[in-house]
Amino acid sequence: MRFIFRMVRRELRSSWGRLIFFFLSIMLGVGAIVAGRSMLQNANLAIASEARNLLTADIMLDTNRPWEDATLEKIDQVAAPPIVTAKAETVDLATMLRPADPENEGALMVELKGIEPAFPLYGDFFLKGGARFDYSLLENNGAVVSLGLLDRLDLKVGDRVNIGAGSFEIRGAFEQEPGGSGGGFRLGPRVFIELETLRKIGLTGFGSRARHRLALKTQEASVAPLTRSLRAALNTRLVNVRSYKDSEQNMSEQFQRTEDYSSLVGLVILVLGGIGISNVTRVFIDQKKKSIAVLKCIGATGNRILAAYLAQIVIMAVVGSLAGLLFAMAVLQLIESNFSSQLPQYMTYSLRPAAGAQGFAVGLGISLIFSALPLLRIRRIKPNVLLREEVSPERRRFDLLRWGVAFVALLALLMLVAWQAGSIKVGLFFLGGLALTAGLLYVAAVVLIWIVRRARRVGSFTLRQAINSLHRPGNQTRVIVMVVGLGVFLVISIQSIQSNLLREFDLGRYGNLPGMFLIDIQPDQQEGVIEMVRALTGERPAIVPTVRMRMQAINGREINFEDEEMRRDRGRLGREYVVTYRPHLESNETILEGNFWDAAPSAEPEVSIEEGMKGLAGLALGGTITFDVQGRRITATVTSIRRVDWRNSRTGFMVLFRPGSLENAPQTMIAPINAPADELERARFQRRLSDRYPNVTVIDVVDIVQAIKRIVENISLAISFVGAFVLLTGIMILAGSLAMTKFQRIYETALLKTLGAKRKIVLAILLAEYGLLGLVAGIIGSGAATGLSYATSRYVFDIPWSFTPAVNLSGVAATILLVIVVGAVSTADVITRKPLATVRAQ
Amino acid sequence: MIELYNVSKVVPSGAEMLTILYSLDLSIPDGEFISIVGPSGSGKSTLLGLLAGLDAPTTGRILIDGQAITSMNEDQLADLRSRKIGFVFQSFHLMPSLTALENILVPMEIRGLKDADERARQLLEDVDLVDRAHHYPSQLSGGEQQRVAIARAFANDPAILLADEPTGNLDARNGHHVFELMVNLNRRRKTTLVLVTHDHELAAMADRSIALRGGRVVSDTRGARAEGEASDLAEASQI
Repeated sequence: MRFIFRMVRRELRSSWGRLIFFFLSIMLGVGAIVAGRSMLQNANLAIASEARNLLTADIMLDTNRPWEDATLEKIDQVAAPPIVTAKAETVDLATMLRPADPENEGALMVELKGIEPAFPLYGDFFLKGGARFDYSLLENNGAVVSLGLLDRLDLKVGDRVNIGAGSFEIRGAFEQEPGGSGGGFRLGPRVFIELETLRKIGLTGFGSRARHRLALKTQEASVAPLTRSLRAALNTRLVNVRSYKDSEQNMSEQFQRTEDYSSLVGLVILVLGGIGISNVTRVFIDQKKKSIAVLKCIGATGNRILAAYLAQIVIMAVVGSLAGLLFAMAVLQLIESNFSSQLPQYMTYSLRPAAGAQGFAVGLGISLIFSALPLLRIRRIKPNVLLREEVSPERRRFDLLRWGVAFVALLALLMLVAWQAGSIKVGLFFLGGLALTAGLLYVAAVVLIWIVRRARRVGSFTLRQAINSLHRPGNQTRVIVMVVGLGVFLVISIQSIQSNLLREFDLGRYGNLPGMFLIDIQPDQQEGVIEMVRALTGERPAIVPTVRMRMQAINGREINFEDEEMRRDRGRLGREYVVTYRPHLESNETILEGNFWDAAPSAEPEVSIEEGMKGLAGLALGGTITFDVQGRRITATVTSIRRVDWRNSRTGFMVLFRPGSLENAPQTMIAPINAPADELERARFQRRLSDRYPNVTVIDVVDIVQAIKRIVENISLAISFVGAFVLLTGIMILAGSLAMTKFQRIYETALLKTLGAKRKIVLAILLAEYGLLGLVAGIIGSGAATGLSYATSRYVFDIPWSFTPAVNLSGVAATILLVIVVGAVSTADVITRKPLATVRAQ
Repeated sequence: MIELYNVSKVVPSGAEMLTILYSLDLSIPDGEFISIVGPSGSGKSTLLGLLAGLDAPTTGRILIDGQAITSMNEDQLADLRSRKIGFVFQSFHLMPSLTALENILVPMEIRGLKDADERARQLLEDVDLVDRAHHYPSQLSGGEQQRVAIARAFANDPAILLADEPTGNLDARNGHHVFELMVNLNRRRKTTLVLVTHDHELAAMADRSIALRGGRVVSDTRGARAEGEASDLAEASQI
């Protein structure tokens, strides 16, 4: 034991520099896993512990239809005092808000929420300036608005605004509302008014898209049973019942899944690092061959030597993993100081002990798994090499131990991955995918390097030497190319997918997407709106009539959510459909089945459905759908099935009626218009329109596209971050492998110098070698990335794909530069070293 | 006592088999100083490697103090070397990452000797390198490196010292110094010394000399003179 201990100490003293890359790989991977897991665990804690405050209730019921008496009766039967201690009803809807001051030309879509005095059952407002929220602020047409609204419309507390048919005084501005901003997608800033008032300003009538909620407060012990009995009682009604415990659990589960997936990213880095570790260990053992032979010669057994080297690996792994923890802490600090405003409010940024322990265990595990096989080479080193350089080749026997260890290592890796992914299946897919990718890249590397080798005949002396260097004995060329290629592959893929995705949101591209949608236009407002639009854009807008309806029956079968099959499709069967009628197909529509009607109206109701609706409760061509249109039942026959190119559409409808049956139904109009590009003019137009027609809502597509763009950019930033991490690992392995094979370079360089090569030539050879490495890795990475970007665009996002040569070319160029720089830095002293000592030592 | 019975060594060379040592019988009594001479490729080093158990013979048995080393596994052989055999190489083979003192310490540590430190210093003194104790091999001259290697070989007080052309990489003066050191230590400690060499003068100092040629023993003579004949014979058969 003492011998092993001493050997480890002495060896580390001299070889830690060579194992530094081993150490760094572990540090990066462990750091990524621990930082990622800690972040998500912290966020989960911050959000889950706030679940009740976020829901602002113990139990929340919500529906998109006005409360029916029968439903309310059922609720009262189940949830009455004393079980329920408080109740608060709210209504949410999106509408236009405009300042009352005629000088202020803005107008903006807002999310209006009508509340009762009991609101919020949990949570609180944080008003600007620290004032307390009091319900009296809302009484007599008061409004409390988000600070963002004041900024965007240049308003202040005390100003008056118009919403619908009502006029309100802004009595307060909040920084945070009960339940927080929810973090989701918002159509506009939030405005609170009295529920009673909301019902009076003409927005909840026909055609409204309001969300009706009922918040309940109860004793802790009653939450679960009450939720269950409410669900049972409202099973057949389109009411959604949620308790804060559900959301707590949902969130925890979601976070757990996200956490597990995110740690797979860390694992990619660690597995790549593992390949590097395996390489470093192999070369390390090769270099220590003589020392190991000497030890064997003077009486050390193979196992003791193995133990001594294993101990070195373990020490490096432990120190690397610990450094990884420090690294993770630094990353968390960095996130806190830069991004805390975009993250949940009560979140902490500490390192979670469980995450730390996992990262540590994974770091150690990967180190052992990947160094096991190379370490076994120690057993096969014969002390004979001391007497004769090339020992006669041993006949390759089946080495049971070697295969056994390989098998155990693979199994351990699978277990490690499955543990991290939280599922054996995901673990298998992950390993399989990684192995497949790595395998493909490796094969590509072998092929390309073979091609480069063919080029040896034609090249200059420098190039020839560089190509020879790629094939020197014990070279790491293929592995370097594979690992660097993998990093390049990820980074370029993300760039390419991102640029394809972002182009999708480029408004000018299709020229057919409207700048704005005007919705909820009443039939009698039609002409006036058309005039206003014409004055603005010079074009007469197309007005599309819309009728709202719900399905009652399909093929004569009444929709009944007690039916298991129908309950499964509750969302699609229970939703409200906005339909239109017209005699023709739009240019973005094609008929897949059946025949489209001719232009003549028909009193017999006919519909054309979008292909996605086929199969809904057995719906097919020739089937019937019975709709409820404001109390009137209409049964229509499906005479055709359409495909709609949603990308290329101003408007798109799931259900299209043949003219003749809906003209007299209650309807509103929508108008897609090409709005001016100028922001001020857009604002003025919205203002003028909502002044005259307060019920008409303007959806500014530019705003929405901007929001989506921001989301896409944030996501790709996050992914690029991961790609950069992987690339960094690749560089680490590159630098490590180059450093490990430095002794060969030094010797070759010394010989070249002895034979009369000037430093310039030696330098040129080195740079050409690294340049070739970079070129091959870059081509492989960017080729694979092109494939992935094509596949994801076509099959995942379903968007047209186009080649992005700029991304690919700059990617290859950057790779060449990177490899040359890393190579030059890690082997700089090869050039400056004097040849004599080197040649003599060999 | 080292005994060899019908020992041969055959290795594959490309598609063919190459015989390095033909059937050989030999016994070396305790305390004997024996030199092995012969041209390059005659099988000298291979024979030495077989004696140390660094490689296994293709046929035959080798006994050291009555124990058949040919039936030992790697670990048993390592243990045997640790207890009984010291080895000196032509190209020194010190561990580059260890200082002179540490290189001498290693064999004793492998055996787990208690007074290793003190002994290592004594050995350094024996080879006259006390002031170089903390130098690394790369900081030592060839002669100094070989002296450290000799000190290492004697570290566990082995009954047998095997030396493979220990002076081959040294100039005449240093070579002589190293040789004397080895022979003196050998005499003082009464070890068996098997010396492989090209140097007739050195070989002539041995009690007994064996000449190898093409894997066969061409002479085995006792006494200094006899050695001269042996080496002449070996060379004559080359012509």
